Amino acid sequence: MDPGLLRGLREILGEAGLVERRNQRVPYECDGLAFARQLPELVLLPRNTDETARCMRLLDEAHVPIVARGAGTGLSGGATPVEHGVLIGTSRMRAILEIDERNRFARVQAGVVNVDLSHAVEQLGLFYAPDPSSQKACTLGGNVAENSGGPHCFRHGTTTRHVLGLVIVTPQGEVLDLSKARAEPEGLDLVGFFTGSEGMLGVATELTLRLTQTPPVVETWLALFRELDEACECVSDLIRARAEPSAIEILDQLTIEAVEASVLRAGYPKEAGAVLLLELEGRESEVAAQARILEPLVRARGAFELRRARDPAERTRLWAGRKGAYGAMGRVAPDLYVCDAVVPRRKLRELVRETTAICEARGLKVANVFHAGDGNLHPNISYDRRDKEELARVLDAGDAILKACLAAGGTLSGEHGIGLEKIGAMEWLFTREDLAAMCRAREAWDPECRMNPGKLIPMRACMETRT
Amino acid sequence: MDARTIIDYAKSLDCVHCGLCLNTCPTYRLTGREPSSPRGRIHLMRSLAEGEIQADADFAHEMDFCLLCRHCESVCPSGVKFGALMEHTRAGLAALEKRPLHVRLARAIGFGVLLRDRGALSLAAALARVFAPARMPLRAERAYQPTLTPAEGERTSAVLMLEGCVMSEIFGGVNRATAAVLARAGCEVRATPQLFCCGSLHAHSGESSGARALAREAIEASEALCDERGAPLPLVSNSAGCGAHLKELAALFEEADPWHARAAALSARTLDFSQLLAREPQRSLLAARMRASSELAELSPIAWDDPCHLCHAQGVRREPRALLALLPGVTRVELAGSEDCCGSAGAWSLTHASESSALLEGKLEALRASGARTLVTSNPGCHMQWDAGVRRAGLDVRVLHLAELLELATRN
Ligand SMILES: Cc1cc2nc3c(=O)[nH]c(=O)nc-3n(C[C@H](O)[C@H](O)[C@H](O)COP(=O)(O)OP(=O)(O)OC[C@H]3O[C@@H](n4cnc5c(N)ncnc54)[C@H](O)[C@@H]3O)c2cc1C
Ligand code: SF4
Ligand code: SF4
Repeated sequence: MDPGLLRGLREILGEAGLVERRNQRVPYECDGLAFARQLPELVLLPRNTDETARCMRLLDEAHVPIVARGAGTGLSGGATPVEHGVLIGTSRMRAILEIDERNRFARVQAGVVNVDLSHAVEQLGLFYAPDPSSQKACTLGGNVAENSGGPHCFRHGTTTRHVLGLVIVTPQGEVLDLSKARAEPEGLDLVGFFTGSEGMLGVATELTLRLTQTPPVVETWLALFRELDEACECVSDLIRARAEPSAIEILDQLTIEAVEASVLRAGYPKEAGAVLLLELEGRESEVAAQARILEPLVRARGAFELRRARDPAERTRLWAGRKGAYGAMGRVAPDLYVCDAVVPRRKLRELVRETTAICEARGLKVANVFHAGDGNLHPNISYDRRDKEELARVLDAGDAILKACLAAGGTLSGEHGIGLEKIGAMEWLFTREDLAAMCRAREAWDPECRMNPGKLIPMRACMETRT
Repeated sequence: MDARTIIDYAKSLDCVHCGLCLNTCPTYRLTGREPSSPRGRIHLMRSLAEGEIQADADFAHEMDFCLLCRHCESVCPSGVKFGALMEHTRAGLAALEKRPLHVRLARAIGFGVLLRDRGALSLAAALARVFAPARMPLRAERAYQPTLTPAEGERTSAVLMLEGCVMSEIFGGVNRATAAVLARAGCEVRATPQLFCCGSLHAHSGESSGARALAREAIEASEALCDERGAPLPLVSNSAGCGAHLKELAALFEEADPWHARAAALSARTLDFSQLLAREPQRSLLAARMRASSELAELSPIAWDDPCHLCHAQGVRREPRALLALLPGVTRVELAGSEDCCGSAGAWSLTHASESSALLEGKLEALRASGARTLVTSNPGCHMQWDAGVRRAGLDVRVLHLAELLELATRN
């Protein structure tokens, strides 16, 4: 790192805002995709928009690549550092700046943790609807960058439906205030464009987010099946019958075992082959009406038990179990590879079978949890990253699963993003022209492709647009 | 010694890097720095074990900066044994002598002399009263328990009570209250000067040989006291830190070591006093003696603050609340973030004074918001920390040990 640049950055951030020495930088070498590693040259932890912008201007002058990082819970390597690059972390931008109860929005710094926002507005009868399973740790800035989803996004929509405005620092260090465009944007919807751009267009420092009214009645139902197939079929039945739960989740047997062995102990019966977790919300009469539709359908599909969570404590436990399922799987092996596969809902059952076959053929252990309502499957493959040969088999299985999804009319990612992980797969789905068009859009913001290079859009495509 | 071997490598592999622990970690919340988070610390340990990094001063700093509050362990779905991992690493660092000389000297005096001998500790406590009164609680009192406190009313059981090193030097009054409450709940309370310090502070700091020596003394002393059938008595602790350590004592010894099994047997007999009192018949006996009084009413509303080593290390959350619910004419309010660390963490508050104050500030904010007039805890470190904080902030709040409150409510 150039000493002049370092001095400049230190002047802006002070000691507490810099992570410089090697042994302190090492923990930043990866995000949730733990096998992909690159040591950052430097980590910057600005406290606000102004500090971020000043740092980014210096980095622009010195042509240094930048990767933004929230909590590093991303599963596609979006926050993996790049060679000769710096990380800009938002972990010291944790202030909730404004809560507007009447107009139901909050203005927050990008490093605020998802669940902290919901807690802050709980007393007002409001909550922030998108609820990724990592919500206790992931940042709202990271959610915006990934357009994250969560169990309840089946009803409420993914992050992009909840972003009203942004303050963005561009790769050149310019501050772009898009937080005024609260109603309909005038001109291009840049907020919509930025949401889901995986840290490629700049660093979001402030977010204006929609708050949702807490429904008067929320019920969590648990349906237990002997077979995973039955649970999958049941989801289709429910949707066909217009029973519209706000969340539809499935956990398979291996996942149930892992959760029950962990601190989470959600109370999922171990004899179940699959658990279907449903949430109903609305006014009392609405919830009751939904329950009336749901009960006979679930039983007809062969559920051997159907019950409602008795109290808020049990509800919390059931959801904590679902949301901690990934971590709980850590008991099985040192590392986990979480695939993020999407297919049309009616193909869910087929894909589950295929996934299992793909993993079995490669001698891999797989457990399934999924946002069934969205046709979003998360096969969790356990492995040990020290075993290079096993890692290769895991990645091969991941590719095979993706190809199976595409063949079934699905797509590359439900919610975890493309990042580093699936960048090669972009070429399966998109033509060269498509990719070149994406590059041109990117280069309008970042002609040098200095923000998160090598992620989301294959660099090769960008090189081609230039020559 | 190969620095790589100071890590319990197998345990470090349990971490899948999910990050679900980050937001609970006080040092991460304070600094926003990944190496100061549980996931970051485990990452460093694993990197050291794999030969990627050296055990240099930066490494030692991150390990020492951890409060060992174990909040991360409470929320980790993957079952990472963070406390054990950290104690192991610290023991290794102590052996490597990676710390600066003045730190090693202070540790030698603290762990080698003061916490090994009641007389030396007593002298130090006396000096502290004179030279550092702001750090001492208002009602500091030295008292040692009689070897036998008879049960009041019908004797239903006998227990051995751990007086503890710090407890008997500074919180003699709390020990007296604990023995009194146990006696009123039908327990005959035994104490023995042979059971002095459990060694938890040694273990937390990586002084494993000192911790082992004290553990052996504690095991022998506790085995010597038996009930009528010749079985060793249950050991009751009113200090969350000591209780947590005693419940995991076997970790200090290799499995082949005969002391391992004896330690495990002691762990199986160890209870937090709230656990014992929340059981029958103790609970009913206590409840029957509860009387509303103006003194008690003045303390209301009360707030319970979970000591880290009670909720996170021992998983005890329900019992203290159940006991507090018995108090007549007293309302209990919830303290927001009651499972967050107050920043005491044994000697940590001395070695990291400004960070400790910052953590305490957040707790004081929650206390103010709760409107409580009495803050209830059950760990000497937390008690001192709260006492100092309440005084500094000029709040009209009393800080009491759970035993003191129960004693007051059952006094006739
Ligand atoms: C246990 C577990 C469960 C999960 N469950 C879900 C789930 O249910 N649904 C889901 O969608 N995801 C889930 N994820 C994935 C992950 O949590 C989400 O992608 C989350 O949004 C990432 O947030 P983060 O703060 O950790 O961001 P990071 O991982 O740090 O970064 C993610 C990406 O966002 C960019 N970025 C971060 N902050 C900013 C910013 N301020 N400005 C611009 N770019 C930025 C980074 O460059 C990177 O490309 C889960 C992960 C784990 C470990
Ligand atoms: S919660 Fe557990 S598995 Fe997840 S990062 Fe923290 S220590 Fe590791
Ligand atoms: S023990 Fe406490 S301070 Fe240490 S890493 Fe875990 S949560 Fe953080």
